[in-house]
Amino acid sequence: MVPVQYYLLLSAGLFCVGLFGILTRRNALVFLMSVEIMLTAANINFVAFSFQHGNLTGQVFSLFTIALAAAEVAVGIGIVLVLYRNFRGVDVTEAATMRW
Amino acid sequence: MVAFDYAPAIALLPFASFVIALFAGKYMPKRGALAGILATGGSLVLSIWMAFTVAGGETYNEELYTFVSPEAFDLHLGILVDPLAALMLIIVSLVAFLVHIFSLGYMNDEGETGLPRYYAGLGLFTASMLGFVLADNLFMAFMFFEMVGLCSWLLIGFWFRDDAPPSAAKKAFLVTRFGDYFFLVGVVGIFVTFSTATYAGSESFVRLAEEALAGNVGAVNTFGFEPQTWFAILGLLVLGGVIGKSAQFPLHTWLPDAMEGPTPVSALIHAATMVAAGVYLVARMYGFYALLPTVLAIIAFIGGFTALFAATMAVVKREIKQVLAYSTISQYGYMMLGLGVGGYVAATFHLMTHAFFKALLFLGAGSVIIAMHHNEDMWDMGGLKDRMPVTYWTFLAGSLALAGIFPFAGFWSKDEVLYEALVHGLNDPLLLGAYAMGLLAVLFTGFYTFRMVLLTFHGEPRSETAKNPHGVGWNVKLPLAVLGALAVVAGFINMVPVAELTGANIEFLHKWLEHGITGVTSEHYGELLSEFAGYQAAELSPLIPAVVSLGLALAGAGLAYVLYSGASPERHTDRLGSIKTLLMSNYYQDEYQVWLADATTRVARAADTFDQGVIDGVVNGVSSVSLFSGSRIKRVQTGVVTNYAALLSLGLVALLVVFGLLGGWF
Repeated sequence: MVPVQYYLLLSAGLFCVGLFGILTRRNALVFLMSVEIMLTAANINFVAFSFQHGNLTGQVFSLFTIALAAAEVAVGIGIVLVLYRNFRGVDVTEAATMRW
Repeated sequence: MVAFDYAPAIALLPFASFVIALFAGKYMPKRGALAGILATGGSLVLSIWMAFTVAGGETYNEELYTFVSPEAFDLHLGILVDPLAALMLIIVSLVAFLVHIFSLGYMNDEGETGLPRYYAGLGLFTASMLGFVLADNLFMAFMFFEMVGLCSWLLIGFWFRDDAPPSAAKKAFLVTRFGDYFFLVGVVGIFVTFSTATYAGSESFVRLAEEALAGNVGAVNTFGFEPQTWFAILGLLVLGGVIGKSAQFPLHTWLPDAMEGPTPVSALIHAATMVAAGVYLVARMYGFYALLPTVLAIIAFIGGFTALFAATMAVVKREIKQVLAYSTISQYGYMMLGLGVGGYVAATFHLMTHAFFKALLFLGAGSVIIAMHHNEDMWDMGGLKDRMPVTYWTFLAGSLALAGIFPFAGFWSKDEVLYEALVHGLNDPLLLGAYAMGLLAVLFTGFYTFRMVLLTFHGEPRSETAKNPHGVGWNVKLPLAVLGALAVVAGFINMVPVAELTGANIEFLHKWLEHGITGVTSEHYGELLSEFAGYQAAELSPLIPAVVSLGLALAGAGLAYVLYSGASPERHTDRLGSIKTLLMSNYYQDEYQVWLADATTRVARAADTFDQGVIDGVVNGVSSVSLFSGSRIKRVQTGVVTNYAALLSLGLVALLVVFGLLGGWF
């Protein structure tokens, strides 16, 4: 049996990859993907601890998270579309006109 | 009693006419005059109803609305209807009603503009004065006192496009305000001393003061002073407001300038409302003043001095309204003299008769001014007797009353004031001095009154307009006729000398003011005066003093007749030389008050600098610091989503580090 620490390391690695994507990339679609990767990292944590404690609640929660991620992608794609329409591109740093 | 349920309506009706004239006046046929006439007429009817109910032995003293419950401070609105208030209500509403009718002739028929504003002002003025009369406590009285002052400002400055009226209005407002500061401090002082400011009843401040002086101090807080001293201070503070409003020396300077307002307004201000408010206030809380001999002596002395002082200035004036203005100051001096010497009934009597004959004289002067195309100089008049007989005869009746000629109204009341002053003055030299000044003023009154009548109505016309005066309508003649009749007969309600001589029971006003609420009757005031103020009336027949004052009045009138009765009288005042200059300049009172005001400018400037520099500096500093820091800190919001994400992550890391350090993970 693989110890829970390895899963946690994997999850932390994935989270950092997602965070790196958000902090460095400008493409809105890459943003969405990075967010998905971070959510996956959270899911791995849920499942790992569920397995560790022998309690199924964590796994149920990860199912919820997957459903929520799907909804989020739908909304996110919508935002990306509007962004494209208004700024002729999907660069998130361009959309900075609503500040002071 | 059902009648008293309508008591608030007496003041609310003119207030309603104020609202109507203000908002709907310009759409109405007479620009709000009809609303005013109906409202004041309604008030008059209700006031008469009140008087009949009071005559039946009923009184009313109720709270209507409470601001602060009586535990700490008793701040409330309430209504007190007793014989004094009922009498005053009739005077005020009657004069206001007639002034409204007269205004139809003086304002509407003369094609004035801004009439809704005028009638709104009249309505509010009447409402404030009636509210003041109905008030059952000093706090409410102070509120209405201030409203009366505000309305006088609005109405004196009615012709605000000219130069003089706005300046006169400001002067009237500021000078009376100066007195009102003392009044305000006095009201607050009465509240902290007695915790209440009601006039009547067992819990009133008047009664508490009486008990405190009788040795039962109780909860009355006199701040370590002797009760007598402290109450005298309070009485003098309240008297400050009275001196300002009733135009007593040295705060009388606003009143002659107030003649810049429309003449009906002058009639209302000087006969029944603003100026009467001061004297009414002293009469209203007379139970308090009757305890304080020092204050009474001051009132008497100021009154006597003002009566003489103002009468001398009236002798040389050229404008008809100026003569009347100084006669008003002088007559209110008599009322103060009457109150100061313990003649509560006499002063109230003079307040009533004066309201009628002075309103009559002002309205008569207004009628003359209409006829003269708004020229007020008496030297341009003359010979109006035959051209305007109604005005002449009514004006003559008013003048005879003012001069105190038997048997017109003013004779009875002024004579009673002087009689009271004499009988109390025989035991007190200070009061005797006040009496002497009042008596001498009778001579001047007779002189200037008949100088005015002779110059205006007799002799040959001295200008083209006087030859062909403008006619006046019924709306001018009707108020003159009503007031003219009252100026003749109003004195008959209290003929004390006749009662003394014949033994007939005809001192109706004495009887009227004797009953009412316990503690606020003339009978009780008499007891207080002899018990606390030590006033003793000397035994003296009223006949000899009456003959003396009548003789002086006739002498003054006769002198005026000798000097001014010819077809084209000379300007005898020129022969007075430098005295004339002094009198024409009103004893340089204005100059000296302006000098006083200028002398305090440096204090005002220092206060201004402090205000602008320190107070405003702190306020402005706070706001500019906020503005500046806001303009810097808002830069954090770049609008770039990546930056937000970075800040979030950094914040999370920082939070983790802090938790780690505090939780001892490292």
